[in-house]
Amino acid sequence: MKETIGTSPVTPIPSSEKVAQQGNEGLTLKPTMSSFPSLTFGRWLFWIGLFLFMSVVALIGCLRFGTQVLEFSRILDILFQEMGRTPAGGTESDPTRVILLHVRLPRVLLAFFVGGSLAAVGVALQALLRNPLADPFVIGISSGAALGAAMALLFGIGLSVWSLATLPVCAFGGALVSLLIVYRISATHFGFSIYTLLLAGVVLNAIFSAFIMFLTSVADPNRAFGMYAWLMGSRTGPDYPTLGILGIYLGVGLVLLATQAHSLNLLTLGEEAARSLGVEVERVKKLIFLASALLTGAVVAFSGLIGFVGLIVPHAVRLALSADHRLLLPIAGLAGGVFLMVADTVARTLLSPAEIPVGVVTALVGGPVFLYLLMNHRVRFGT
Amino acid sequence: MNSPSSNTETMAYSISHLNFGYGTSWAQTRDAVLSDLTCTIESGKIVGVLGPNGSGKSTLLKLLTRILRLQVGTIELFGRDLQAMSQADIARTVAFVPQETQQSFPFTLAQMVLMGRYPHHSGWGGWHWENSADLAVAHSAMIDLDVAHLGTRLITDVSGGERQRAIIARAIAQMPRVLLLDEPTAFLDLHHQLEIARILRKLNRERRLTVIMVSHDLNLASQYCDHLILLDRGRIVKEGSPEEVIEPEILEAVYRCRVLVDRHPQSGMPRVSLPV
Repeated sequence: MKETIGTSPVTPIPSSEKVAQQGNEGLTLKPTMSSFPSLTFGRWLFWIGLFLFMSVVALIGCLRFGTQVLEFSRILDILFQEMGRTPAGGTESDPTRVILLHVRLPRVLLAFFVGGSLAAVGVALQALLRNPLADPFVIGISSGAALGAAMALLFGIGLSVWSLATLPVCAFGGALVSLLIVYRISATHFGFSIYTLLLAGVVLNAIFSAFIMFLTSVADPNRAFGMYAWLMGSRTGPDYPTLGILGIYLGVGLVLLATQAHSLNLLTLGEEAARSLGVEVERVKKLIFLASALLTGAVVAFSGLIGFVGLIVPHAVRLALSADHRLLLPIAGLAGGVFLMVADTVARTLLSPAEIPVGVVTALVGGPVFLYLLMNHRVRFGT
Repeated sequence: MNSPSSNTETMAYSISHLNFGYGTSWAQTRDAVLSDLTCTIESGKIVGVLGPNGSGKSTLLKLLTRILRLQVGTIELFGRDLQAMSQADIARTVAFVPQETQQSFPFTLAQMVLMGRYPHHSGWGGWHWENSADLAVAHSAMIDLDVAHLGTRLITDVSGGERQRAIIARAIAQMPRVLLLDEPTAFLDLHHQLEIARILRKLNRERRLTVIMVSHDLNLASQYCDHLILLDRGRIVKEGSPEEVIEPEILEAVYRCRVLVDRHPQSGMPRVSLPV
């Protein structure tokens, strides 16, 4: 028999021998294991800082483009001026200033919040369903939310400020119901199957779309047209109070998800293994369900159906950086925000002054990526 | 009979009148997986749970770590009622190595092993950063299981044997008092089978780690276990030392086939062979 203990040729750390010799006394040792790969707070902070910085740079870059291209110096000028001012003061006479602060900035911020939330939901659903291809749009959660919102829109609730607060609640209900359905269908005795999950998503999407079409066909034509535009993810820039309401919904959802980041790591091992490692699986699952439905509901209510952000972004971050959800969740959130800001900028400038719905852009980019991943994953999931 | 207080230290598990069935509660009696199971597992022993497919072995292990919730009966872990403990509490005392681990996310082996430290930290959703003690424990477990050089490899890319050893390293990193293994050597080659068996015995001797393992490998069980429990259709058919349990008549009745039992040339323990 090969003597492996302590003499393994590839253990580069001198302290490892000490640990091995002393057996379980290793607990009392405090060696610095520079080559032992682990996520430290310092490393975490570095990546978060880097991506925050990149997000700000991307945000300013996206503010530059529109029907009229602005100078960077002018953008920074206006932004810095605005920061030093009280919100109530001054009249808006400068048109560039009005465009920047009241048209482009809110819209870019909306895209950032929405993209970040979609990516975070993608990360959480992928861990929950143990499936790297899960995305709130693909598996039918978004259309569930859309149906909830559509019902609210067509039966009574008009587009008042009050509706901005209630619409997400109805969308949340729709998202939660469809999430529970998808979860029940794909959680077979043999674990989660990618194909069951995707098929359940396809069928749910079809059913919910049929309901939405039915609702629009019986609705008043003016309302129906507005609904179509909304479903395609096409929105003009929101005002700041609207952004604030959205921010509250998303903030609650994101904080809930973030608290469960480490448990998500263990959840990817499967519920049984997670439980044997000390995770209160049922509690974690409930929180993930609620937070994901809340985020999806709020996003759909404010921005309509935007697909594939929750799929591409987490996948890229996982490959490039780490599968550890403590890092993956916040970084995917920031990267998702940047991704959707850029996609939205493309959507509003490509055929300027006409606009493409941003959902079209993300689907055209994300759909092929999804197919590619599905083809490459066939072997690994093929049970 | 021992007094209850000394009982808590000598008995890792006291199981009494355990009944379990999958499915809805009113259908239990018809397809019971375990029926009226009563036994104790002594602390510091290596215990083998044997029996044909479907005899309830894996179910028993899952009940012992509360992956499955108890329906009827009681389980005491070192004198404490298992139902009253928190999941993290259990995980600090008992580690579980499942039969097979499928992982479709690109975690590194080191990240995988460090997950064993989860129950030792508290906080919202277990949010914590691993400290140097966690790293030392994980690293020493990886050395024990001969996977320390694979720390940066992805769990999705290593061989089945390497993955299984990493999972056992994760269980060791939990620093448990009891280790439960569901067919730990099923996917391993001869060299690593022997390695795992020896490591388990070493941990058992040095740390007084109680090991409970489900196995189809009667010879491995005979060689390394102090105590065997033979299950058939959810009932204990026979328990005792390998000499008492590995008897042709008993095995033939349970496995419903003829077996030959002779002695291992080195250890003198019973050895099972199938007839030609």
